[in-house]
Amino acid sequence: MKDKITQSRRRFIQLLAFGAGGLFSPRFINASTSSLITKTIPSSNEKIPVIGLGSSRTFNVGNDPQALNNVAEVMRHFFSAGGTLIDSSPMYGSSQPAIGYGLGKLGKNRDVFSADKVWTWNTNLGPGQMEKSRNYWNVDTFDLMQVHNLVEWEVHLETLKEMKKQGEIRYIGITTSHGRQHDELAEIMKTQPLDFVQFSYNIIDREVEDKLLPLAKERGIATIINRPFQRGDLIYELEEKPLPSWAAQIGCENWPQFLLKFVVSHPGVTCAIPATSQVTHIKENMLACYGKLPDQTMRKRMIEYVEKII
Amino acid sequence: MDELASYHLSDFILFSQSTYFRLFELYNQVIWPLHILAIIFACLIVYALWKKSAWAGRFIAAILVLSWSWVAVAFLYQRFYQIHVVANVYALSFIVQALLILWYGIIKNKLTVFSKSNVRIKAGSVLLILSLCVYPLIALISGRSWQQFEMFALAPDPTALATIAVLIFYKLPLVLYIIPVLWLLISAITLSVM
Repeated sequence: MKDKITQSRRRFIQLLAFGAGGLFSPRFINASTSSLITKTIPSSNEKIPVIGLGSSRTFNVGNDPQALNNVAEVMRHFFSAGGTLIDSSPMYGSSQPAIGYGLGKLGKNRDVFSADKVWTWNTNLGPGQMEKSRNYWNVDTFDLMQVHNLVEWEVHLETLKEMKKQGEIRYIGITTSHGRQHDELAEIMKTQPLDFVQFSYNIIDREVEDKLLPLAKERGIATIINRPFQRGDLIYELEEKPLPSWAAQIGCENWPQFLLKFVVSHPGVTCAIPATSQVTHIKENMLACYGKLPDQTMRKRMIEYVEKII
Repeated sequence: MDELASYHLSDFILFSQSTYFRLFELYNQVIWPLHILAIIFACLIVYALWKKSAWAGRFIAAILVLSWSWVAVAFLYQRFYQIHVVANVYALSFIVQALLILWYGIIKNKLTVFSKSNVRIKAGSVLLILSLCVYPLIALISGRSWQQFEMFALAPDPTALATIAVLIFYKLPLVLYIIPVLWLLISAITLSVM
């Protein structure tokens, strides 16, 4: 991510590969002819694609060689479609070694935008845990290191600030996936020099639109959105329901694309990180990185439609 | 530690059902032919319960100590811990249970007073049949690969269930029930939220 020329060349090759894939799959043709949707990280002006890859649950496969190869295959399709940001945590069992396996197999250790977390109540163990995570990923440095679920954030955040100063990480952030931590998170966002913040947001759970998303925009903090499908519940609820015909106006061919485009079209959202262990699903998810994003009127229409049928 | 209270149980079950069951499949492949020994163990327990001889209690306790210790190390710690961040705690609790059985069953020789209650004997027999004969077939019955079977002495659920069956046959301190019952509860909740 540091060499802009190499990065552009890689992006060109990725788009070519994505376009070539489209020759064999009609649903990819529209996507490959439009440009990758990116958003800017306010603290650096670096652009990242609006769809990243989560690894909670889906990449936690232990030492199963068959499942590890499947993880690598999911990652291959993610990178081919232009994706860069992968997010993990020491809390996710064997997800970090699985990502390391995939990166090694695909030779992508230097291309990935690596986002991980520190998650320990014993603050002395923080630096060692992050080093262990780095070894699992087999990357030189992490791009983004976040404090997971606000755990001992006061101490961990100081460590991250120091690591950023030393050039050991490029960005720092903090995460939550619990609604009841939002007030505390807002206070941290107001007072701490964060590059990123991560929380849950989807077409049904829109509480963060009132406070956290406007605050992130005001403070110049990039946002990563977890659980854009409500941990799969939304897909489960909607998969049998008809996609509205007007979804085609924003290039949506399936529900995952519809739900992801809703999330990433919010002006305060930088990137969403749906997790999957299936190649079919990553292909569907990555389509949300292409074509049009809904405007304010369309977003309202999307909410009304989903609330009516769910 | 306030943050810990904000977690739900499902926040810690960060693996899929298919990954969990596949763990048994890979485990069974690696430990074969220990299954033959496990079948011998199961038969010996049934024989010892039927004989009710002076040595039976210590003999059953020894088999249970070996089983709980094996499951703690070979399954919970070496395999389940790869995908579940709290499985090391489970492994430790299985070791504690092995030590409790060692203390009460072998050192104190408490597995001597056989229950005369028909209800207890019937309940113990049903649980024993479930754990030794039915449990290994559950994978197949539920439409999964037969290779994902779980056997007494090798997998945690049938081992805990068989232990409760043995405890019901004998009059033993209640402390011996705590870990097996808790484990079965945890296992049931885990299976339901996966």
